[in-house]
Amino acid sequence: MMLPVQTPAGLEPAFELSAYYPILIYAAVVLLFAVGTLIMSHALPLKPRKPTRVKLMPYESGMDPVGTARLQFDVKFALVAIMFLIFDVELLFLYPWAVIAFGADSSEAWRTALGGTAFWTVVVFLAVLALAYYYEWRKGTFTWR
Amino acid sequence: MPVFDPTTTAILIVVLLAGALGLAGYLVLSERKIAAWIQDRKGPNRVGPGGLFQPIADGVKMFLKEEVIPAHVDKVFYLLAPIVSVSTALLALAVIPIGPTTPPPPPLPIPSGATPAQLVDQLQRQQAEYQQQTSFVLAPGLDVGILYVFALGSLAVYGVILAGWSSNSKYSLLGCLRASAQIVSYEIPLGLAVLGVILMTGSLNLETIIARQTEHGPYWFILFQPLALLLFMISLYAEDNRLPFDLAEAEQELVGGYHTEYSSMKLGLMLLAEYVHLVISSFLVTVVFLGGWSLFGLEALLGDTALTAGLKVCILCGKMLFLVLFAQVIRWTIPRFRFDQLMNLAWKVLIPLGLLNLACVMVVLQWGLPWVTLTGTSLLLLVGAGYLSTRWQGSVSVPRRKVVPLPPGLPPGVTFAPQH
Repeated sequence: MMLPVQTPAGLEPAFELSAYYPILIYAAVVLLFAVGTLIMSHALPLKPRKPTRVKLMPYESGMDPVGTARLQFDVKFALVAIMFLIFDVELLFLYPWAVIAFGADSSEAWRTALGGTAFWTVVVFLAVLALAYYYEWRKGTFTWR
Repeated sequence: MPVFDPTTTAILIVVLLAGALGLAGYLVLSERKIAAWIQDRKGPNRVGPGGLFQPIADGVKMFLKEEVIPAHVDKVFYLLAPIVSVSTALLALAVIPIGPTTPPPPPLPIPSGATPAQLVDQLQRQQAEYQQQTSFVLAPGLDVGILYVFALGSLAVYGVILAGWSSNSKYSLLGCLRASAQIVSYEIPLGLAVLGVILMTGSLNLETIIARQTEHGPYWFILFQPLALLLFMISLYAEDNRLPFDLAEAEQELVGGYHTEYSSMKLGLMLLAEYVHLVISSFLVTVVFLGGWSLFGLEALLGDTALTAGLKVCILCGKMLFLVLFAQVIRWTIPRFRFDQLMNLAWKVLIPLGLLNLACVMVVLQWGLPWVTLTGTSLLLLVGAGYLSTRWQGSVSVPRRKVVPLPPGLPPGVTFAPQH
């Protein structure tokens, strides 16, 4: 049963979970495939099973491993993660606007009423983003040392 | 929304899974054959005619190898990593069109004077008509389309981090750190590049994106967004850890990178995930920039619907295969970047270019200029960036170490001068 919903663009069918059923089933099948492959490969009787001390060592090009592998790592990796977070969230703000702004599906009424405002809002948004980007560049965040 | 049909779903799932697995196997073969061709060797040629059964032999070998789980690993996460990798890779196939598609109908405009009952009736008829159409997509009409693919691409980072961290080995840790920094950095230019196309289509749905490129003739977005296509492909290769961006598993320095400690089918699943990523990226480029199943009206020559559907599947998959082979040739054409070059390329070149390109698209669409303007601005930005890079001592193209010319008068064959 389809429920109609009125949006600024016109009449649309409401969200229905049934559109996602194929993905849910597919997800189950894919998980089953991945887990099943691992279990089958583990349980296969044909394969050799001769664990030795050297085989069970961490691989360090044939040498005996030196020290632990739980190393401290450079803070610049964390910095990249933070920058990613900032820019990716900015991008996510732009997606809804990109869908509704100029597409054929958005209504003419919406565009005359709000299109200009939305455009200049996004311009200001991008200008702030560009300013932050310039600051980060001069600060040296993007230079990998 | 199309009606959920278990039979079609089951058939499509089988086709997708079998296709992805078979294709991944044969892509390994083509990768080795292309490598051999470029290096003037023969490549695998013992199993079957011309090595055609090599993928099967490889698969059997993967299954029969000894399952080594090293003593030092974090077992739960170590075993979880291949599962996460391969499932996130395969799941992204769910919204990718693999053949002819019908876009979901646009919202019904509401004229003044129409009664609600009439409108609802009209909407129901429109939806019923849409449900008659066949779409070669597992989940058709999904309005999040491309965001879903990006979301799963981001989740792929977890497979890498889990594998590298739980392996408790130095090579794995270094590989996973590099891979995660690289994947998150290139996600941003990827999103920026595709934003321009989304502005032009006004939909995230992949079927609609194809329809916008085909409904008024072959208006492929490669024509209007060549710069975005370039940014998109570069970012995709980096996301997939393809050469020239395979710093995460640079064989000469990190052995296998994050899957150094993996063996048998666990390694098999990791490698499968990589090739599935490559296939999905190629499908995405085909659908978003290369017009999906259209080929200059050639697809409409056959009148018969079943034949046309087959032809469209062939065209779409042919384009995809071409892009995959292109990636494999690129692998042997461009040498690997250094890690600082890689990060600088993402943050200092691709992101500003993506932002400028987005600004151009915004301005052109807001003032209703013809789309051809965008081709001009794209090319202008590309040439401008190239010009700037020659004027400006950037860190991408210039070596960081100081290069000192040798003093004159050295005998031939001497390549360094002793410091006094």
